Amino acid sequence: MGVIDALTLGFSVSLSWQNLYFCFIGVTLGTAVGVLPGLGPTATISLLLPLTFKMEPVSALIMLAGIFYGAMYGGSITSILMRVPGEAASVITCLDGHAMARKGRAGVALGMSAFASFAAGILSTIAIAVVGPLAAQLAFAFGPVERAALVLLGLVMVTMISTGSRANALAMVGLGLLLATIGADFVTGMDRFTFGRAELSDGINIALLAMGMFGLSEVLAMADKAGGAVRLLPQPKRLVEMLPNREDWRRSALPIGRGSAIGFFLGILPGGGALIASFASYIAEKKLSRRPQEFGHGAIEGLAGPEAANNAAAQGAFIPLLSLGIPANAITALMLGALMIQGVTPGPKLALDNPTLYWGTITSLFTGNLMLLVLNLPLLWLFVMLLRIPQYVLSPLIALFCLIGAFSLANSPLDVVLVVLLGLAGYALRKADYDPAPLVIAFVLGPIFEKAFRQSLLLGYGSPRIFLERPISATLLACCLLMLSWPLLRRALAAWRARRS
Amino acid sequence: MLRHTALLLLATLAAAAPSAQAADAPYPTKPIRIISPFDPGGTSDLSTRVIADIAKDILKVPVIVENRPGAGGTVGIGQVAKLPPDGYTLVQFSSSPIVIRPLVANVPYDPTKDLTYVGRYLVSHSPLMVRADSPWKTLAELVKYAEANPGKVRWAAGAPQGAAHLSTEALFRSANVKTTFVPTGGGAEAMLQLGGGQIEAASATDFAGPMAEGKVRLLAESGPVRIATAPNVQTYKELGYPLSLAVYLGLAGPAGLPPNVVKTWDDTLKQVMEHPRFKEFLKAQNASPYYANSADLTRDVKAEVGSLKDTLQQMGMAKK
Repeated sequence: MGVIDALTLGFSVSLSWQNLYFCFIGVTLGTAVGVLPGLGPTATISLLLPLTFKMEPVSALIMLAGIFYGAMYGGSITSILMRVPGEAASVITCLDGHAMARKGRAGVALGMSAFASFAAGILSTIAIAVVGPLAAQLAFAFGPVERAALVLLGLVMVTMISTGSRANALAMVGLGLLLATIGADFVTGMDRFTFGRAELSDGINIALLAMGMFGLSEVLAMADKAGGAVRLLPQPKRLVEMLPNREDWRRSALPIGRGSAIGFFLGILPGGGALIASFASYIAEKKLSRRPQEFGHGAIEGLAGPEAANNAAAQGAFIPLLSLGIPANAITALMLGALMIQGVTPGPKLALDNPTLYWGTITSLFTGNLMLLVLNLPLLWLFVMLLRIPQYVLSPLIALFCLIGAFSLANSPLDVVLVVLLGLAGYALRKADYDPAPLVIAFVLGPIFEKAFRQSLLLGYGSPRIFLERPISATLLACCLLMLSWPLLRRALAAWRARRS
Repeated sequence: MLRHTALLLLATLAAAAPSAQAADAPYPTKPIRIISPFDPGGTSDLSTRVIADIAKDILKVPVIVENRPGAGGTVGIGQVAKLPPDGYTLVQFSSSPIVIRPLVANVPYDPTKDLTYVGRYLVSHSPLMVRADSPWKTLAELVKYAEANPGKVRWAAGAPQGAAHLSTEALFRSANVKTTFVPTGGGAEAMLQLGGGQIEAASATDFAGPMAEGKVRLLAESGPVRIATAPNVQTYKELGYPLSLAVYLGLAGPAGLPPNVVKTWDDTLKQVMEHPRFKEFLKAQNASPYYANSADLTRDVKAEVGSLKDTLQQMGMAKK
């Protein structure tokens, strides 16, 4: 079956009125839970799972998928307007997205984020259709050794996302790595730094850290700055001010393309995921930009790239799910469960044995993304109106949502205490001019690196030589070395040139 | 003095009477919550959702599933163990946090005292596999290779310190061979590493797909029950190795659950076992039915904890 035939079959399934209906429910619900901090797509999908028992497998998957990528759209809304990541994957969106809102460009940020997500959605859907099963093999080639090297490269670059001093950022990376060591040791199962609390033995949930460091600390900072007075973010007056202008489009086009590629690639890899993808895209844009100094102060590239990346990653995750039956994260694990309850076993044969399901789902990503764009653009006006809510009403509401969100993660009261503590810590760090973004990223990368590194050493029978013996990891390590020695090299090169002339 | 004691006794009896009455109160009259102590999406969690969905039609009240994951299921179980035994909060469990983890780690409950076991419903299979293109045709050949090449056999199991891990570790220790255990985040990751050729063997529940495609060879089943879809694969115990620990799933409540609650759930679970949707679920998850009522399960858990403790101590694998 050629790609065209396959897509025709797929659209005949996904454009049926009932599948359009389930797709609509999925993306609407996804947007809604993406907006609310804490209540993420995982919780929503697990709540709705029993509903899918009686649905057609393809309709069930279309709806659940809609919730997943719908949340990627919704998560950016609060990040931009209030600097509260509605979803862990939108932490990066807080950086330049919110900075744009502060400059009165909230509408532009929201519009561009919706469009970037849409473009990435369409690009990665095409990529899934064309290279899907082939790309699945990448998941096998990318073992712990390669993952360790890739994450190490990420850690080397993490200080670059910060706006402040390099040394401060490095300190935050260290703190993030330390926080990440809380919980059961991966190899021995022994508890580390849990103070005897069983709730801590799985570590601190990333959503708590994101809500504390960004959401709650922002509320505290607002209360501090406002000093009791009512302060509003500047609002766009006319419709034109809410739409991206030609300059915005020009500056965003390439970042969206690159972000989609990065996100798609990282989404396929097990343990990659949307947050890492958005972070990688941010770094890439900052490195490639001719105006790196604008990043963190409302550079539209720093919004468009990561927004494209997190949506592309969400969709890339469907490749290992459908083609290998391997879930890349908790959300796709739930979808796998939903399919298996229905007696459908995803795997390399799915596209042949059950083409209606396989292509129906993939083509629904087109329709779903289109719906999200249509849904989000008219709502821009409404979302921007949120900025009119006075601070003294908005701040307690944000704080309340963060607390509810913290509790809803694992229904654990300790998590509420933790999010408050992290919020206070985030406020203190901010006061002392430390940027929380590198901390959050290091916190995410730390455990992945530790796990992959220790697995690699076991796989290499205790010898670190294995990192050099495998071509992908050796290349990545060479990149790390180049990155670290670049300032020295550049100076040496300049000196050499000067002497020659 | 004696009269005083008698009065006190009477008073105590009188005070106890209403609670005895409460035990016979109709059940259930309000929604029931089942805590799933694992992450959403796994066999454990999904089974709970299937059961809750069937049970709500039998019991005529909503049955809500709530995830409280953490520390291999011990966080959720520990919290339910402390709740009042009114039958409106139950916990789904797997054998690992009940029978195994308390012996190798500190857990916030005593599995033989703090819980009322309601019933058992499922056993999953976690066979030891090698790649189909590997030279080992039998478990004996793999063990022989490991003997000749100490530490060269790298293997992974679905959950660290889980049933499959301990059974397989006991196998290698009793055969006196040195191997390298590579911990993974779960069965899916173990299968990825096996597929990618990074490890030599894996014991995981996610074997059905790769088995159907002919990508893996099943050497032996780590649990006590043979796999229906691969009936020729023997269990570790059958092959003469010391442990074949079961990964089974069941329901429990806090200690002191009223008899009518236990009875209600026992009847419900029996009906669930016969429900076509539950049977389909078992097939899809490559699991087998493994029913036991409250009394049998309670006895089994006590016996397992006792015998496993001895075995682990002999092998030097128990908690210090």
